[in-house]
Amino acid sequence: MEPEYSSTVVEHFEHPRNGGHFEAGEGVIRGTAGSVAQGTMFVLSAQVAEERIEAVRFEAYGCPHCIAAGSWLSERLVGLSREQLRAWRWRDADQALQFPLEKRGRLLILEDAVRALSEAWTRLIP
Amino acid sequence: MTPSHKSSSPAIYLDYAATTPVDPRVAELMIECLRPEGAHGNPSSGHTFGTRARSMIEKARQQVAAAIGARPECIIWTSGATESDNLAILGVARFHADRGRHVVTSRTEHKAVVDAFKQLEKEGFEVTWLKPGTDGIVRPEQVREALRPETQLVSLMHVNNETGVIQDVAAIGAICRERGVAFHVDAAQSAGKLPINVEAMNIDLLSLTAHKAYGPKGIGVLYIRRRPPLGLRPISYGGGQETGLRSGTLPTHQIVGMGLAFEIGEREREADVTRLSALRERLLKGLLAIGGVELNGHPTERVAGVLNVCFHNVEGESLRFGLRELAVSSGSACASGSDEASYVLRALGRSDQLAQSSIRFSLGRFTTEDDVDRAIAIVSREVGRLRALAPTSTPTP
Repeated sequence: MEPEYSSTVVEHFEHPRNGGHFEAGEGVIRGTAGSVAQGTMFVLSAQVAEERIEAVRFEAYGCPHCIAAGSWLSERLVGLSREQLRAWRWRDADQALQFPLEKRGRLLILEDAVRALSEAWTRLIP
Repeated sequence: MTPSHKSSSPAIYLDYAATTPVDPRVAELMIECLRPEGAHGNPSSGHTFGTRARSMIEKARQQVAAAIGARPECIIWTSGATESDNLAILGVARFHADRGRHVVTSRTEHKAVVDAFKQLEKEGFEVTWLKPGTDGIVRPEQVREALRPETQLVSLMHVNNETGVIQDVAAIGAICRERGVAFHVDAAQSAGKLPINVEAMNIDLLSLTAHKAYGPKGIGVLYIRRRPPLGLRPISYGGGQETGLRSGTLPTHQIVGMGLAFEIGEREREADVTRLSALRERLLKGLLAIGGVELNGHPTERVAGVLNVCFHNVEGESLRFGLRELAVSSGSACASGSDEASYVLRALGRSDQLAQSSIRFSLGRFTTEDDVDRAIAIVSREVGRLRALAPTSTPTP
């Protein structure tokens, strides 16, 4: 018995936005969390300029909810400032994608990836 | 939450090891029994309606007996292989408990066997759980080494339901017979796929089900050796049908269906096996071409229609959801509602990750080359898509 998925999850799973990554370079930041061995892993990379996120790419190893969350998030992060990125929390994704209770831990891994991305931005010389 | 279906076209059915459709020839005969003018009487009744039903049941008993090289009086009707397994294992162990409380099985048996043995453990029996090799095979020598003077029963399946791997039950049967230990075989997955002869294979108890052999669900058989008598205690009580071993009104239409399904299965077995072997090889070749795909279980000691493979660098739940145009299984459909890694594949040494990203494809009588080719294309597309989304640091062998 497979779990059921919300229409938003199905849409992002079938048509993921912004899959892939930016190669390291000027204005590129990267945040990673989780592992394949754990069953969930996210890699976020972003192109930043003028104190805003210009573009985001995601890679995900995980269940359909995780892939959908990576895709959904990649659209939401565009345009955020450093402060806004630092303030991002998992509940936004949960509300949009209706994660089952037993899978909410995977959203914490996504939040860790966002935090790692934010920290990478902090380290980036302006 | 709304379940989604990728396409409105019907899924490709590649789950024959979970259950088969009823062969139309079987369905037709079954329907005849249900109509007012058919054999709807209670087979225990003495009037003509009852005797007509009884005669059809006895014909079916002969059909099933002939398919496994048994005498008809050794065939007991049950509700399916789960009940047959329980009756065989609990029935023999409890009957002989005063002579010894040691029993033997393997870690990769069907849940119906595993859980019956766990019940025996609760009742104070000692169970030896044999560990198969990474190819899924329990060597006959492992069985010989496990036997003790107080061992009452060995139970091993003929064909594994998840991997399709074949056990050498004839060699194990010979060892058990030599040592005077009852030998039970769950043959739910081998009927109609492999030759079975309970006499030649020294099998004392054999579980069968109709619904994996193009018969109806809800009917099965336990073969019980009668000479010399085996000694078996029933697990349910009532009207004393089936020589008191399995009480309950016999379902004529299901029994008749099972009888004909087994007759057809045996008659058409060789042709089916030849055709399915070719289709399975076609499927395997197509899947291996994707890359990062490994076969689970022994490469050659397997039944024709079953292929279990694991996909590296693809998460299991996403893979299964991505493949929902295909009716396939991960692990056993009989262990419903569980997303835990298959205990069978774990026992073969697969990691949790690889066990979860394993898929069982099982082909059958109505599978076509076109089904196989479409399945390969769908798997290739989804595995490629999911791998492209996966972090690039995760290696694909």
